Amino acid sequence: MLRIKEGGLSTTVQDTGRFGNYHIGMPPSGAVDQYAHRIANFLVGNEADAATLEMTYSGPTLEFEEDALIAVCGADMSPSLDGEAVSTWTAIGVDAGQSLEFQFATEGARAYLAVAGGVDVEQVMESRATYTLIGIGGYEGRTLEAGDELPVGEPAADAQEGATVDDDVVPDYGSEDTIRVVMGLCDYRLTDEGRDVLLGTQWKISDEADRVGYRLDADVDIQDLFEEREQPFGAGTDPTNVVDLGYPIGSIQMAGQPIVLMRDAVTGGGYATVGTVVSPDRGTLAQGRSHETVTFESVSVDEALTIRESWNDQLDALREELLG
Amino acid sequence: MADNVIIEAPMPGVFYRRPDPEEPVFAEEGDDVDAGDKVALIGVMKSFHDVTVDTDGVVTEFLVDNESEVEAGDALLTVAPS
Amino acid sequence: MGESRIERQSLPSPRYEYGADDHVFVELAESMSFTANFKAQAITQEVRGRDLPGIVEVAPSNASYLIHFDPGQIQPDDLIEDLRDIEDEIDLTEYTWEARVIDIPVLYDDPWTHETLMKFRDRHQDPDATDLEYSARINGFDGPEEFIEAHAGAPHMVTMVGFVPGLPWTFQMVPRDQQIEVPKYVQPRTETPSRAVGFGGAFTAIYPVQGAGGYQLFGRTPVEVLDVGQELDTFADSMVLPNPGDIINFRRIDRDEYDSIREEVESGEYGYDIGTVDFEPEEFFERPESYTQQLTEVLD
Repeated sequence: MLRIKEGGLSTTVQDTGRFGNYHIGMPPSGAVDQYAHRIANFLVGNEADAATLEMTYSGPTLEFEEDALIAVCGADMSPSLDGEAVSTWTAIGVDAGQSLEFQFATEGARAYLAVAGGVDVEQVMESRATYTLIGIGGYEGRTLEAGDELPVGEPAADAQEGATVDDDVVPDYGSEDTIRVVMGLCDYRLTDEGRDVLLGTQWKISDEADRVGYRLDADVDIQDLFEEREQPFGAGTDPTNVVDLGYPIGSIQMAGQPIVLMRDAVTGGGYATVGTVVSPDRGTLAQGRSHETVTFESVSVDEALTIRESWNDQLDALREELLG
Repeated sequence: MADNVIIEAPMPGVFYRRPDPEEPVFAEEGDDVDAGDKVALIGVMKSFHDVTVDTDGVVTEFLVDNESEVEAGDALLTVAPS
Repeated sequence: MGESRIERQSLPSPRYEYGADDHVFVELAESMSFTANFKAQAITQEVRGRDLPGIVEVAPSNASYLIHFDPGQIQPDDLIEDLRDIEDEIDLTEYTWEARVIDIPVLYDDPWTHETLMKFRDRHQDPDATDLEYSARINGFDGPEEFIEAHAGAPHMVTMVGFVPGLPWTFQMVPRDQQIEVPKYVQPRTETPSRAVGFGGAFTAIYPVQGAGGYQLFGRTPVEVLDVGQELDTFADSMVLPNPGDIINFRRIDRDEYDSIREEVESGEYGYDIGTVDFEPEEFFERPESYTQQLTEVLD
């Protein structure tokens, strides 16, 4: 059992996501940075789909009722056990009764706490991921608060304290991010110049960027990027409107400003989407902090597939190394 | 008398001196405060972090305007410990 | 006098678009029509039925559809080839599906959406009228009464579900010249009551939960379209009521009926009136008025 003493800014139980229900409006949820989430799991002997705690900017304070093996990956929030600093990206042994505390993240936005055995809350539609909008999954469908008690599953027998990863596995969250995008979907609605503006602008991550969408600011009038046309039947009157359609996770929706849809996304609607962030880069973007800037780089679908494959290969190799 | 204590923003976001636009401010310059009192909020990603003072004293100055953007490490206000 | 038919639209070639490495988006038409939507429904039903490898999500939308897949199991170009084959093979004039017909009682011009819409007149095209008055006027009706009669007068097809879980977009099953069209608010509202029945573009929507919204507000239903706790019997298998391809019959009720249904819903005893039909698009296109009348006869 994990006892939450302080909830942190916004801490939720997350996993690899809830799939199969997009057609009834259910986004996948799950850890927005799957890279850090998965490595944290592997370090403690869990499979990728075990549930971790996703912590935003400032982590919770929690107490362990039993001995445990934990790992913290992602943004560095300087974790400490009973006041003593512990390493990140490393499997750490915890004694029953010890308290884990975090500081504010100095680089990156989200860290993941994995516990051997996984956070064992009940599954909803085959996933433990929290989706706060309708209050399902995770712990009572909401962010964690003081007093919450989270069950922990049965650890794998051979998980080892001290397991760690090479330094080059750990991302540099402080660097300026280039987010790779496959342009398409409804990008025919953009003028050539509009497309250049989207790809050439340094976009600032807004204060409202969250798990639903990363809103991006710049001094750009979005309507000016669009071709004028007589709007088709059913599409709505604004030039950025289209007949309502499904939004891919990672797509860039042009709703007054570009919004990159994250894992708690609205699943569809009437704004033109003009490209989709390559799947590994969705996690990179999710580590972007409010007021940091990002730029988009257009890549082909073949390049996107290669990027995904090497991301998968890297994680598979780490899984192999840590889980055997 | 001890030096003014500077309270910094621990995270980026928007600085709020009121719980709600209609409500009064948490604290004015010159107000007495106790350790642990909430004197402002930082809103980010639709969550709110309480800015609290860690010493008894008097709020001497707010260094940023209500609803302005702040970065992690920005000085927000000063408190003269009593 | 023969009733008017619905003309099949000739659709352009579908646009197959990559949504990065793990989605394919297929736009069947830029404009809304039953032809485009039925094609989206038919193809996505067929994709589900074929059990292709690596398919994660299959979501029809108004005039398009979206597929989320695992490129570790199927390459996007192979998937697109399969989708093109399905498109070639499906004979839309023959395609039918089992559809549920769902009775959705609506208190039009209800006090709750009225209060909300009055609060946001400054964001509306016509601050001096209500949403119903405005919508009636720009669609050439004498007034709200006649307009409500038209809206509740023929059933609506669920052409897409999404935005948030359980929110149906519905398209009224009448010929194009009888379709209602109303723009969304100039500026979206920050509030909408739960279970509000709204209208934007050519679509009616039911808001499952309260929240922001830009659709014109016509009324409120006492019944749920999303039941997260799955407390009502109808939600035993899914927390969401409407599915793409369902047919909704908006039925005008008065305040007394609203209150009594609401009471039953809240006590968990409400039984939805739902029938099942074999939906034949060709019949619908040929004789929309009598066919939709026939469809709603499965309701109590």
